[in-house]
Amino acid sequence: MASNRLLDRLLGLALAQALAALLWLGLAAAPAHAQPMAFADALAAEDTGSGRFPGESAARVVTLPDDWAQTRPRLNTPVWYRLRFDAVGAEAQPGPLALYVEQACANVEVQLNGQQLHAVGSMHDPISLDCRRPLLVALPVALLQERGNTIDLRLAGYALQQVTSHQRAGGIAAPVIGSYAQLHARQARDTLLAVTLPTVASTLLMLTGIVILVMARARRRDSHLHYFSALAIGWALVTARLWWHDLPMPNFDSELLLACLPPLVALAAVQFLLNFAGWRSRPIEVALYAQCVAVPLSLLLAGPARMHATASSWYALLVVQVLAAMAFYLWSTRRARRRDFWAMSLVLLVVAAMVLLELAAQRQLVPRPWQWLPQALMPLAFIAVGLHLVQQHGSALRSAEDGRLALETRIREAGAEMERNYAEIAEQRVEQVTRQERKRIAADLHDDLGAKLLTIVHTSESERISTLAREALEEMRLSVRGLTGKPVKLIDALGDWRAEVVGRLSQTGVEGEWSAPSEDLPQTLSARAYVQTTRILREAVNNIIKHSGASRCTIRCLIDSGDFQLAIQDNGKGIPLELDGRLDRGHGMASMKHRAKQLHGQCLVESGPGYGTVIRLTIPLERHTTRA
Amino acid sequence: MKTILLLEDLPEIRAWLKTLVMQVFPDGQISEAARVHDALELVSAIKFDLALCDLGLPDGSGVSVVEKLRETQSECQSVVVTIHDDDEHLFPALQAGAFGYILKEQPRELIAEQLQRMNQGEPPLSPSIARRVIAYFAAQSKPAQPDLMPHVSLTERESEVLLRVAKGFTLPEIGVQLGLSRHTIADYVKQIYRKLNVSSRAEAALEAQRLGLFRRQ
Repeated sequence: MASNRLLDRLLGLALAQALAALLWLGLAAAPAHAQPMAFADALAAEDTGSGRFPGESAARVVTLPDDWAQTRPRLNTPVWYRLRFDAVGAEAQPGPLALYVEQACANVEVQLNGQQLHAVGSMHDPISLDCRRPLLVALPVALLQERGNTIDLRLAGYALQQVTSHQRAGGIAAPVIGSYAQLHARQARDTLLAVTLPTVASTLLMLTGIVILVMARARRRDSHLHYFSALAIGWALVTARLWWHDLPMPNFDSELLLACLPPLVALAAVQFLLNFAGWRSRPIEVALYAQCVAVPLSLLLAGPARMHATASSWYALLVVQVLAAMAFYLWSTRRARRRDFWAMSLVLLVVAAMVLLELAAQRQLVPRPWQWLPQALMPLAFIAVGLHLVQQHGSALRSAEDGRLALETRIREAGAEMERNYAEIAEQRVEQVTRQERKRIAADLHDDLGAKLLTIVHTSESERISTLAREALEEMRLSVRGLTGKPVKLIDALGDWRAEVVGRLSQTGVEGEWSAPSEDLPQTLSARAYVQTTRILREAVNNIIKHSGASRCTIRCLIDSGDFQLAIQDNGKGIPLELDGRLDRGHGMASMKHRAKQLHGQCLVESGPGYGTVIRLTIPLERHTTRA
Repeated sequence: MKTILLLEDLPEIRAWLKTLVMQVFPDGQISEAARVHDALELVSAIKFDLALCDLGLPDGSGVSVVEKLRETQSECQSVVVTIHDDDEHLFPALQAGAFGYILKEQPRELIAEQLQRMNQGEPPLSPSIARRVIAYFAAQSKPAQPDLMPHVSLTERESEVLLRVAKGFTLPEIGVQLGLSRHTIADYVKQIYRKLNVSSRAEAALEAQRLGLFRRQ
């Protein structure tokens, strides 16, 4: 956004500099050179078609510059102007002499002492329209006499009534004679101001218009872009007669054609301003289009004799419309606090000033150098607006791109989120199904296997089988507990174990001593660790009750550096050694060790005949605290 | 004379249990049932002093029989006879009003002794059941609607006994620790069972009322 503002400022600065440069050039052109001699008057005579000055008897003196609209209104026959001068001291001049005519409308021929020096373009309708180009004609020394030289100028042009712009009405500026070098410099400067700059500016404007047209085609929504390109191209065409001297049609037709453009330009300008301000009105649009038809129609009806009056009234009306649209635009953008308000108001102010200046120039109300200003500056102002539009378009594109990227990111995030959720749901589902399945298995085990084992327990004749079945039932119950297993708090596990061990020992008359940490322990055991430890403990107590003949048993539980330690000691007769020196397998030592190993712990058995038995079980707690 | 209900679906076990019960209560009159449906019919016809109910039956859970007995024959002592030793299965039965439980696979002598003890008002209490009871009353002590909920809470002594049972101490051990007689400890346990049932029923009634309110809206 900061770069946008910078660009606006740069545009404004460039415009201001162009204005300053033109002013400087224009003002510098104002003071006339002292040395060259300007003709204040001339002999003038109507052309008779002889190709020569008709004769001094028919001539009259006219002051120069001669504006036909003032001196011979409504006449459009060519006029001969005779200038007399002496070339005394011509040798003293640093270079050859030259005749300079700053402006001669529409076309002029030059003769020096009866010899034709300059004749370009048509002198009959359609006359070559070369009103702007300053004419510089070298005066050959060979043709010059010391005294009494005559320069005859034949000027062909149209009466003011026949053209739609005063700038194309017949007339001639005061010719000047002087050093060729000096006058050439002057011609170069005047050409630059009056012809080159406006031509370049309007060419650039044409290009800008085309670029914006191309751009607008890609964005049909932005109607203001279409109107602006129409405005730019239309204006460039209006100023086309600067360089397009010869149109292959009668003057009336070409003037009519040219008069079609301003209402179109006004339409484009008004619609651009309204649309750019975000406002549309169907009636105004219709009226503007109707105006485009009405203008050429009224000119056609008015005929060649009243062309200028009709067109002038129309142009004044168009200017009022455009100025009103500008005022509306500025009012509405100021209310909307648009960021480009100040830049746009500066540019529009310049345009308004130029329009008014042009209007004044049409009525010969401003000195000549100022007349060229609108034609050079107006296209520049339009170009500035055009560049602003391009830049706005660019930032709109960028923000659209940003929006797209943001959307893409959000879609990607949403996708990832969905995937995550899906995975979570799937996981939960798997967990749920697993839990249900475990419950089912557990129920089946209880109902089928449990019932059958129970029947065996209570119907078997053999005490051994009934004990085995009871043990199997206990095992099954533990397995089921492991299956459905939630983690067990260590303190709860200790409670369960104590109740079982002390209860069984006291039932069998063995004196039991249990010591365990009684404070609240934060650790938990996985269901698996709980079940396996229960089995080991149960096996050990079974051994003591059945085989050891002990009268006393001590169980110590403690937690030491992340390990759970269980020591079961009895004062029985110990476990007999097998022949190979290992402890009796019938006492379940192997399965106890195996279970301990499954829990990444160890189970050590110390025993000797007559010394009793100590079973030391160590299980790392960390591995079983978190795993469910 | 003692009227006894025996609800068990496995014929062999039922026969075995019947002999056992007859040994313990020689003058008992035993009515047998293999299904919940049959048991409920018997309950509505006969007044029982003791009911031994299995939990997992072909047509439902023995808990409903315990409930029915609690409602219609408050003098009857219900005992759950089951293969399940975990609190998940036992706790609902105790809440419903069972006075104790017997694990079926235990040796005959042990079961006989337990029955005797229960008859004398000494129900068994395992650490895991004790923990469940503690957790239950802890949740009850902060009810969402204190005014609506009839407040049933444990005394300090009852809580103390429960805590010690949960840590794995046997009832005689707790008696020694607290300097109380075996009978006093048994009374505490009995009281705990009773309060559990009362509180559970109050909760159930409240829940039903809440559902009723919802239905009206």
